[in-house]
Amino acid sequence: MSDTTATTEDGLRIVGEVAQGFPPPPKSYARAAYSNAKPDTQSATWLIVRPDGRVSAYAGKVEYGQGIRSGLAMEVADELRVRLDAVDVLLGDTDHTPWDMGTFGSQSTARVGLQLRRAAATAREALVELAADKLDLPTGELECRNGRVISRADPARSVAYGDLVAGKAITRDVQEDVALTPRDEFTVMGRPAPRVDAVDRVTGKAQYSQDIMLPGMLFAQPLRPPARKARLVDADTKVAEQLPGVVQIVREGDRIAVLAETDEQAEFAAKAVQAQWREEDGQPTNWDVPDLLRRTAGEPVITQESGDTAEGFRQADAVLESLYYLPYISNAPMEPRAAVAQWEDGRLTVWAGTQRPFGLRAELAGHFEIEESSVRVIAPEIGGGFGSKSIYPVALEAARLAKAAGRPVRVAYTRAEEMVFATFRPAALIEVKSGFLDDGTLVAWEFTAYHAGERPFIGQRGSQTPYHLANVKVSVSSSESPLREGSYRSLGGAVNHFARESHMDEIAAAVGIDPVELRLRNLTEPRFRRVLEAAADRFGWSGAKPPSQRGVGVAIGLDVGSYVAACVEVQVHGSEVTVERVATALDCGLVVNPEGAKNQMEGSIVMGMGTALYEAIDFQSGRLLNAGFTRYRVPRSNNAPKIDVELVGDPDTPSTGAGEPGIVPVAPAIANAVFDLTGDRVRELPIQRHLRG
Amino acid sequence: MLSIRVNGEERQVPTPERNLLSYLRFDLGLTGTKYGCGEGLCGACTILLDGQPLRACMTTAGSAAGGSLTTIEGLASDATLHPVQQAFVDESAMQCGYCIPGFIMTAVGLLSREAQPNTSQIREALAENMCRCGTYQRIQQAVERAAGVQRNDAHERHDSHN
Ligand code: FES
Ligand code: FES
Repeated sequence: MSDTTATTEDGLRIVGEVAQGFPPPPKSYARAAYSNAKPDTQSATWLIVRPDGRVSAYAGKVEYGQGIRSGLAMEVADELRVRLDAVDVLLGDTDHTPWDMGTFGSQSTARVGLQLRRAAATAREALVELAADKLDLPTGELECRNGRVISRADPARSVAYGDLVAGKAITRDVQEDVALTPRDEFTVMGRPAPRVDAVDRVTGKAQYSQDIMLPGMLFAQPLRPPARKARLVDADTKVAEQLPGVVQIVREGDRIAVLAETDEQAEFAAKAVQAQWREEDGQPTNWDVPDLLRRTAGEPVITQESGDTAEGFRQADAVLESLYYLPYISNAPMEPRAAVAQWEDGRLTVWAGTQRPFGLRAELAGHFEIEESSVRVIAPEIGGGFGSKSIYPVALEAARLAKAAGRPVRVAYTRAEEMVFATFRPAALIEVKSGFLDDGTLVAWEFTAYHAGERPFIGQRGSQTPYHLANVKVSVSSSESPLREGSYRSLGGAVNHFARESHMDEIAAAVGIDPVELRLRNLTEPRFRRVLEAAADRFGWSGAKPPSQRGVGVAIGLDVGSYVAACVEVQVHGSEVTVERVATALDCGLVVNPEGAKNQMEGSIVMGMGTALYEAIDFQSGRLLNAGFTRYRVPRSNNAPKIDVELVGDPDTPSTGAGEPGIVPVAPAIANAVFDLTGDRVRELPIQRHLRG
Repeated sequence: MLSIRVNGEERQVPTPERNLLSYLRFDLGLTGTKYGCGEGLCGACTILLDGQPLRACMTTAGSAAGGSLTTIEGLASDATLHPVQQAFVDESAMQCGYCIPGFIMTAVGLLSREAQPNTSQIREALAENMCRCGTYQRIQQAVERAAGVQRNDAHERHDSHN
């Protein structure tokens, strides 16, 4: 790649504050989780208008399926009045893109988009000034259209952007208060558009970290422990060393890796290493988890409290208590993690499909005790992650091995390694106690959640009830986690929603009211009412007291500031549950890329369906029992429902996320539909394991 | 030495037992064919052997010798996308895109066996592949578009239950 940040280059360059797009995270947990929450520079290049008329936009985000490249290109194209295909978006390269904390949390993506819009609007104003000089017209008589600055009075007088910047190297600062294009003048944003990177994806040109190959690159196969917490006692590598293709066997303390000329040679030789491991006895199994969650619970954190729940329960006509359990599940993205590392004159370059290229750079620099400027991390296309690729251990492995070998090295997880060594959505046990009147009005709500793991922000997400009532107490505790917990779409949002929205249905059944009606009765927030009504309408919901034997279910949710509702219809044959169709409505404020938002909603629903019906990680003696798709079932096309998505956000409300909220109502809506059909209330996921059938 | 035709070019097979997926990706540099599971379960590695879909991860280069292979890189002719590729673009049938080459090859295989598949034939054929991003509805629509199937109305399945 050419050095696009060289300041001598021709073109109009817009630089701006890095921190503008990325205020440091407010909570200390985010700082702790992502240690390097600090930009290394004050400002960076956000946008360049080039002499050939093309526009380059830069962002430190990564593309892992959410369509961010298209969304950002649309924002730039609209502000700068150029065609969508004239914009190149460069992402996730620590040498060339503005510093970024990481690609998670939809808010930060919206802020990057806003910063790019400001940069593009700043460029547009600068181009008008340049054109005023060139055409000898006052700026007020000029406007921008289709990559040209044009005289309003005489459209024949115009000049192309490229001609305005050719032979010049101009730099401008992003104007924070620049006038942005009003919404009713958008011609690109808010409209369906094909993805800018679609052709690369259908022709196989798109390169993922699994696909990176360098001249002289060695394939590595590290020795993996047979069980969690197993320690290497002894290893004999003599046989392995003699095998064909083996170049080197690297041993650093407990770690051993075979480096070979081909992937198969490395794998084969790694199996030939005679290793003895000491395993740790007495590790819990998946069956022990519910008990463990309660037994090891830490100090509860109150995430919502008002009134007096004891008083509320006294006023209630009825009180209902239920217990819900959700097991560990795997993100299982289609692309297992892979990384390639290369050292050249003391400088390290790593290709890794991480959500945090800048965070990884800091980790690598710290490990090798070199300056961050001596490390470059490039995040190629990423084959999914759903939150989990913030943690990317193969990058450091590749870097260490490349250093030892003096040649580029590739480390790639197999499917089984990906499932064993990645993180899991943590298990949770949730107690809900509600008090309500005979007409379904809530008067008391106690929600006590035990989430596995030391990252309280996972379990706290989405724990608060959105229903309007006086007496509420929500508490969340963190418990010991026998598996490594990590981020998953909506973190614990979908987990907490499962308990809350299942419980709302139990109340509807107890008082004999239609579940949509019951929710409306307890909701005051207009945005909530709107998504619920829209989804019900789209679905053709007709009210009935559950179980109505029709197999319909509903749930609502709030995640990353976006409101969502889903109605589903199921069929059950034995223990096989089929989700026939889903109608869902999302309010995520202004939608830049409606096709992208709908696509994300559809994907969230399919993923949520997997968590509802099939998915659970089983483990015993420190071993995963279903690390692979033979025993870990995920949805396939013949399981996928017909999905109907409606976007109902008000375009004057700031954009919130569309990638995560879609999943939060899915599992409870399905459980509610199963109850509606069969009368069997399943409070433990996955449903197909626990349905009486 | 054994040889094999890959996207119309005659290629040598280094050792017959070389895994076909590794051979394509690492020896020939055709990385459009993906590794997803190595167990024949996800379809990310799907290619065509003499026009029919094959999971490259489950076979050796030697056993495909003498045959003619097509990978995703060999599907488009010059600057024109194959109709199935074009349909995936038109339907935005992708998120991360990692599974997409495999789906496209499966669909091309289906259409060569069955020029006018119905919706349920398409659904069953595509069930051989896995998309963890959950893009199934769009993938289904893309294949229907390429096959010239009339588009279902969003509420059709619902109405059929009433
Ligand atoms: S990689 Fe071949 S089927 Fe999954
Ligand atoms: S688009 Fe990501 S796995 Fe299918």
